[in-house]
Amino acid sequence: MMKFIVFFGLLFGMVAQADAEDMPASLDWLEVVTFAGRHTDYSGVFVYQYDNRVETSSIIHVNDANGEYEKLECLDGPKREIIRHDGEVWGYINHKMVQLGSHGQSSFPSLSAEQLSALRANYNARLLGVERVAGYNAQVILFQPRDHLRYSHKIWVDTDSGLLLKAAVLGNRNKVEEQYSFTQLQIGGKIDRSWVRESNMAGAYAKNPHETNNDIKPINSGWVADMLPSGFKKTLEIERKMHGKHAPVTQMVFSDGLSAISIFIEPDDGDEDDVEGLSTRGAVNLYHKVLGKSLITVVGEVPPHTVMRVLDSVRYNGK
Amino acid sequence: MKQNISVLMDGELFEDEAESLLGHIKRNSDARMNWEIYHLIGDVLRQPEYVHRGLSRKVRERMQDEPVVLAPRGREVKQQIRTIALSAAASLAAIGVVAWMSLQISPELSPRLAMQQAALQPASVPINADANDYLMAHQELSPNADMNGGASYIRTVSYSLDAAP
Repeated sequence: MMKFIVFFGLLFGMVAQADAEDMPASLDWLEVVTFAGRHTDYSGVFVYQYDNRVETSSIIHVNDANGEYEKLECLDGPKREIIRHDGEVWGYINHKMVQLGSHGQSSFPSLSAEQLSALRANYNARLLGVERVAGYNAQVILFQPRDHLRYSHKIWVDTDSGLLLKAAVLGNRNKVEEQYSFTQLQIGGKIDRSWVRESNMAGAYAKNPHETNNDIKPINSGWVADMLPSGFKKTLEIERKMHGKHAPVTQMVFSDGLSAISIFIEPDDGDEDDVEGLSTRGAVNLYHKVLGKSLITVVGEVPPHTVMRVLDSVRYNGK
Repeated sequence: MKQNISVLMDGELFEDEAESLLGHIKRNSDARMNWEIYHLIGDVLRQPEYVHRGLSRKVRERMQDEPVVLAPRGREVKQQIRTIALSAAASLAAIGVVAWMSLQISPELSPRLAMQQAALQPASVPINADANDYLMAHQELSPNADMNGGASYIRTVSYSLDAAP
């Protein structure tokens, strides 16, 4: 009987091996994509598909002596525009340019050695051949999680520039939770930069470092979450002011290199709008719950049961 | 009536309508016949190896033929149940061993096994526009935003019905 089981197990393994004729992918691809995304000038149109909806947007990304500038504009529905420059985010919403966020650092630090090993331990990366996207040849890479607590990530990377041409987040049974895909893309060449100067002159980018420093400060809150999926390391713990909140909000960010989970903790003010529950937009799930005297919110590009599991494990451990 | 039965089988009837229709099927033999014929048609269309016809009638007849046991349960029966339980546990353990070994041998399989466990999805609603601040606060510090560039910011300004005036 035991022999039979051993044989069966081996056979099973071999079938799976034969199935996976795709090459294992190197994680260097992620570094390439991140670097190319920052340092390449490009403009194009992409579609964003989520929850049975499709939205078309245009994006322009340029670099100059002052750093990166990026303009994102929704082409469907009411006019919505986002401009990013050195870690600051501005939005053109309701005919007004408002600062939506700033985190002081120009961009997320590139993957640490620790994160890369966590990535390797928690995802199985494979090269799935070359496909054409928006007229460019793209290397397809699949990151498949080794547990059910995170989504699969499939990316299409331009073989010449290293730019990300398409990205899909796949859930249970390879259901597409959300997908970005360029339909038209110009890399380098003549790109409209007039908006960079105009916005600068309009003072939209007028930096206010004092305000930024007051808005966000690193802390050690004493809150912990025991049930984070393996490989999620804390990348940040801050106290920040948030729009419409009287008290500062504690935010902890955890990342496994591909996805992140944020835990927000704030005093529960008994606001009726803060109803307990789960909500979803594309690959992002959000779960609200009052624990004792605190309102906890968990947000992440992970499946619904993961944000719920994380929230239920949040507790105060003392400073 | 026939059309309603077909709609019910497709799972497209509202709960209260479905309940009253099922009640009707229970009482009315013609409706019951239609119900069975529709299932038969469905079975044939799905092209299984065997098509069951008049299954419920046969089960009913067999059950009527079963003798009614009035004697209290003796030790022997209990012993038998225990044996069955033990052998069931043993075969479960065997499945466990096979599953464990396949995990050891091929990491590709583990996501598939794990995916099956996650088949049950909790109910969820679209993210409310009020929660956009959390989304934005999360977005700017996620590595996902870094890789996708600004494109992932589109999530935070996505046109949601809640935000529409």
